[in-house]
Amino acid sequence: MTPQTDTFMPSYTLNCRMAHEAAALERLCQVIRTRGFRIVRMAVESAGESLDIALTLEGTRPIAMLQSQLEKLHTVAEVDSGQTSAIRSRSA
Amino acid sequence: MNGAEHILDAFHRHQIDTVFGYPGGCIMPLYDALVDDVTVAHVLCRHEQGCALAADGYARASGRLGVCIATSGPGATNLITGVANAHRDSVPMLVITGQVPLGLIGTDAFQETDVLGMTLGIVKHSYLVTDARDIGAVMEEAIGLAGSGRPGPVWVDIPKDVLLQDAPATLFPADEESAAECPDLNPAMDLLRAARKPLLYSGGGVGLARCEDGFRQFAECAALPAVVTLKGIGNPGKHNPDNLGMLGMHGSRAANRAVDACDLLLVIGARLDDRATGNLKEFAPNARMIHIDTDQAEINKVRQADVALRGDLAGILAELTAAVRAHPLEIDDWRQQCRLWRTTGGFSAADNEEPLAPITGPAFVRQLSHIAPDDTMIACDVGQHQMWVAQHYEFDHPRHHLTSGGLGTMGFGLPAAIGAQFADRQSTVINVTGDGSFMMNAQELATIRRYRLPLKIIVLDNQCLGMVRQQQELFYNNRESQIDLDDNPDFVAMARAFDIPALHINRTDQIRRGIETILAYKGPMLLHVAIAREENVWPIVKPGAGNREMLDETHRPSTSNKEQIA
Repeated sequence: MTPQTDTFMPSYTLNCRMAHEAAALERLCQVIRTRGFRIVRMAVESAGESLDIALTLEGTRPIAMLQSQLEKLHTVAEVDSGQTSAIRSRSA
Repeated sequence: MNGAEHILDAFHRHQIDTVFGYPGGCIMPLYDALVDDVTVAHVLCRHEQGCALAADGYARASGRLGVCIATSGPGATNLITGVANAHRDSVPMLVITGQVPLGLIGTDAFQETDVLGMTLGIVKHSYLVTDARDIGAVMEEAIGLAGSGRPGPVWVDIPKDVLLQDAPATLFPADEESAAECPDLNPAMDLLRAARKPLLYSGGGVGLARCEDGFRQFAECAALPAVVTLKGIGNPGKHNPDNLGMLGMHGSRAANRAVDACDLLLVIGARLDDRATGNLKEFAPNARMIHIDTDQAEINKVRQADVALRGDLAGILAELTAAVRAHPLEIDDWRQQCRLWRTTGGFSAADNEEPLAPITGPAFVRQLSHIAPDDTMIACDVGQHQMWVAQHYEFDHPRHHLTSGGLGTMGFGLPAAIGAQFADRQSTVINVTGDGSFMMNAQELATIRRYRLPLKIIVLDNQCLGMVRQQQELFYNNRESQIDLDDNPDFVAMARAFDIPALHINRTDQIRRGIETILAYKGPMLLHVAIAREENVWPIVKPGAGNREMLDETHRPSTSNKEQIA
């Protein structure tokens, strides 16, 4: 087993509004994962034909890169980034 | 009008007259509707992967939307490699699949797969249509999305009962095209004028934006030394004296050297792919960068741009051309230096003077380039032959070079050539392939025969997976593992079994005659070219290394070190 090491993992919040269509959340989560981020918290609320999604994410890559990838999704209407902080986490 | 007829209605609205597909259970309503349709030509390939790759080749060659169709389950999963290929190379594609009836979704029904879920990462967008009344609007949106902005594949999955469901016809007013605003070019022009060693770096985005002519005008007007990515080959034109060729892992010494020495990169329609940049930390270490792209997400993705311009490429190029025409760049010393590097470090392959000598891949490709007509489209597969074509074939237009750049899909070439030949029945289309790649979609020989496509197939046969063997030789201590293909079938006999004539050559003095023979033949023909097993692609940069660390033949380990474990 790989020993666990302490690392500082930048944490971000993103608020996202997207169309409430088939596989909407899977589509969002898939981009977050493949672009190198981990979902720490996710709150989803249905708002008519839309979904409002509040995300807390961790990742070492620039959050702007993820934001622009999410904005490319056809059904994503809006992505707002919140405040950035650095939290201590344990990673393998 | 039922759901299937709504699909055909959308094809008619958008002048889609050629589609590539394979029927099966859940897509049968669409195939039933096709029986009465006289405007849409359906090309029956012999495997769904062939359908998707043929649609891809059709789109690359024509600049139009490629369309492929398959049934649910294995039909859909067989499409996936071809769709991923289109996604990675930003090829406009519409994918239509049947799905099990609505009530059976989620019951593990026969030929049910979660197509929407399993394809999320390889599409620009996707739909599961659950009401026939939505099909018209979904098709409209899907077709628009696939071709707009940065193009890509859009997948529409439709349950069988929805295809059969009646729905009223809908009117779709034609979209009014809005003129794109040109961004402020002054910051870019300031950087360009301040640079002493600027370098033009272009990629596949030029062809995708269909602004090949505008790019050519700018390149000639600015007389900037130019390098290209694999997908940008042909952008500057083969007669441009400032064209240094492809950069990167198998790039020319001239191109990689110019990137290393330049003080400004003007990147147009390229995404700074790792095969092009090598180790990013060592890439263009002295250069500032202007990045022009239609996709905002590509800007600053892997390297921060000093100036970024996002917008309509044609408009930006026109403005840039006007600016450099009014005030030419003063870079004579740099231009002369690059032209010297081009002479001493361009791609060169000696034509073997010894008539009985074995054929080498580079020498063959150079002769092919000299003999084939100017408008020839070359559809490559993936491997050593692909790099020899990229290095030694002199393309004068990016649409003449069909290659799987991002995904690197072995088996791409033959179906892509089929698609290209459907896109232009008059052009010469040649699939240049290797023995490994050829066997991956060889079933499409039957498609060539069925439609009597006059395309030519050239198999460069080294009896092994040459690119893997090369990397095992250079980077894995010469330990060969699972690369032997010396039990290949007789390719000449195989082609003839599909009623396609074929020739075999293995000597240098047979090259010209072999090429001329297949080009002169009116129908499809295969040329089997035996080449040496040990031949490598030079130069090569070790994956992960900087482009300065190009290796050549002098770096070959001794063959006595070989430890064969295959």
